[in-house]
Amino acid sequence: MDWVFLSELAINGVLTGLLYSLFAIGLVLIYKASSVPNLAQGGLTMVGAYVVLALARDVGLPLWLAIPLAAVVMFGLGFGIERVALRRLAGRPVVMILMLTLGLDIFLRGTTLAIWGGTSRSMELGVSYDPLFLGDIFISRIHLVGAGVALALFVAFMLFFRTRTGIKLRAIADDYMASWSVGISVERGVGLSWALASVVAVAAGVIWGEIQGVDQALSLLLLKGLTVAVLGGLDSILGAVIAGIILGVVENVGADFLDPLVGGGSRELIVAAVLILTVMIRPHGLFGRHDIERV
Amino acid sequence: MQEKVEAQNILSMNSVEVLYDNVILAIKGVSVQVPKGEMIALLGSNGAGKSTTLKAISGLLKAERGRISRGEITFQGTDITEAPAQKRVEMGICHVIEGRRVFEHLTPDENLTAAAPRGMSRSTLNAEKDKIYAYFPRLVERKNSQAGYLSGGEQQMLAIGRALVTQPKLLMLDEPSLGLAPFLVEEIFGILQKINKDEGLSVLLVEQNALAALEIVSQGYLIENGRVVMHGTAEALKSNSDIQEFYLGGGETDFHNVKHYSRRKRWLS
Ligand SMILES: Nc1ncnc2c1ncn2[C@@H]1O[C@H](COP(=O)(O)OP(=O)(O)OP(=O)(O)O)[C@@H](O)[C@H]1O
Ligand SMILES: [Mg+2]
Repeated sequence: MDWVFLSELAINGVLTGLLYSLFAIGLVLIYKASSVPNLAQGGLTMVGAYVVLALARDVGLPLWLAIPLAAVVMFGLGFGIERVALRRLAGRPVVMILMLTLGLDIFLRGTTLAIWGGTSRSMELGVSYDPLFLGDIFISRIHLVGAGVALALFVAFMLFFRTRTGIKLRAIADDYMASWSVGISVERGVGLSWALASVVAVAAGVIWGEIQGVDQALSLLLLKGLTVAVLGGLDSILGAVIAGIILGVVENVGADFLDPLVGGGSRELIVAAVLILTVMIRPHGLFGRHDIERV
Repeated sequence: MQEKVEAQNILSMNSVEVLYDNVILAIKGVSVQVPKGEMIALLGSNGAGKSTTLKAISGLLKAERGRISRGEITFQGTDITEAPAQKRVEMGICHVIEGRRVFEHLTPDENLTAAAPRGMSRSTLNAEKDKIYAYFPRLVERKNSQAGYLSGGEQQMLAIGRALVTQPKLLMLDEPSLGLAPFLVEEIFGILQKINKDEGLSVLLVEQNALAALEIVSQGYLIENGRVVMHGTAEALKSNSDIQEFYLGGGETDFHNVKHYSRRKRWLS
């Protein structure tokens, strides 16, 4: 057994996993407020990346300015989605809101395709592709940066949920009716969650856009992101981080063992197995609350 | 004369009719007055329309696809019939909803924080919290545990405390005694009375436990089938033979009602 190689697989699995977490944090934020997995999070991530590119390439701003500006734009978009679409669905069955997010995803994909076309564009963050060696272990720099961003967002949200506004958001996640009864604006809270999730989408879009290019395929991150969110418990940010790491490692190490046996493609199978097994064996995930249904 | 009466009432509800889903007529012309600084009870059995009356006043009807189709509600002389729920809380109406719905995954302390009005300074909030903990000393030692694990009595105290953070002038409570042991009901009602005395807080109390309620209020209304069928001072109601038979009786029939009631509750909540 080659321990160096195995550690390399594991460490890169952790880093890749944290990039899944980066995506999944957005899902968790919306799940907390709206009780639905946001099927449009992939679309939002892609739009986030395109907005950064539009500001950087088409407008010509430097990236350090384009990225925060895109975050502001997407923050507004998140609020807008609540205002225009979600508010009308208040009190309707949750499955309707789920369908709405699906429709939104299709809409976002169609819009980006119409505006920016189908050819892949590169993010060009300027992160070096020179290998980084930790002893004998090779590490990708952009993955390291992305993992750092994921952890930074994790810490930021943990702190945010201790502030008064954060506590009100958690109250909304617990009980809409009780929130209204003490004058909490549930609508604004839900809007804020969508806005924050859209900002997370910019971060995920930039990192993943750098790794795999900016095109329609970015929206497919939803599948792995959902798997991570479900494994983590859907409403737990800590869960999303830990589940991301688990999925990344299992996928990376597992594929190395399985690929020679099944002749490739085992990554997808591993992800599918994790999702299906989680739902069957531990439907509330690793850190999920147990009373997640709400009227 | 009429105007003078109006001025003394902090809340005045006149011939209010409520429709759910545009078809279900839940209350049919209910009129209720709450004199400033007094405690008033709203009594009645299952499905009489007590909760609907409170939701009409707090504006929470909208969340259940209900609306006021006739009549009007004024609070401190202002027409609030169409005002959004949030506005009404800002004006000083707070509704402790049925079933002590505390924020289960928050701590009691966070439950109080969550209810802080926008713009309330940290020091005011802390002062409010101190006051609430003084009224409900049982909450103090549990204030940093998860609210979902508090006992029923503690949760009801927390739900009331949470409402007090909004600094209400009119506090409305929907069956706070439900499912609580008699000594707890007595304790909670005693605290309500104290708050009412100390702060001049007006209280509208919905209860099926008429016996306990009539001990602390000055007047009561009896609702049946969406209509007020009786209104009088607590003393008059206590000595009324109908009330005695149906609501103060105790004994077997009452016990069955209670059981049936708690079962139905689960479906509704
Ligand atoms: N959200 C709703 N949609 C439709 N009908 C409703 C709704 N809420 C209440 N009703 C109906 O309105 C009537 C009054 O209900 P309400 O909840 O006000 O009674 P209540 O006096 O509070 O009863 P309980 O003691 O059981 O709480 C009932 O017939 C009930 O079925
Ligand atoms: Mg009721």
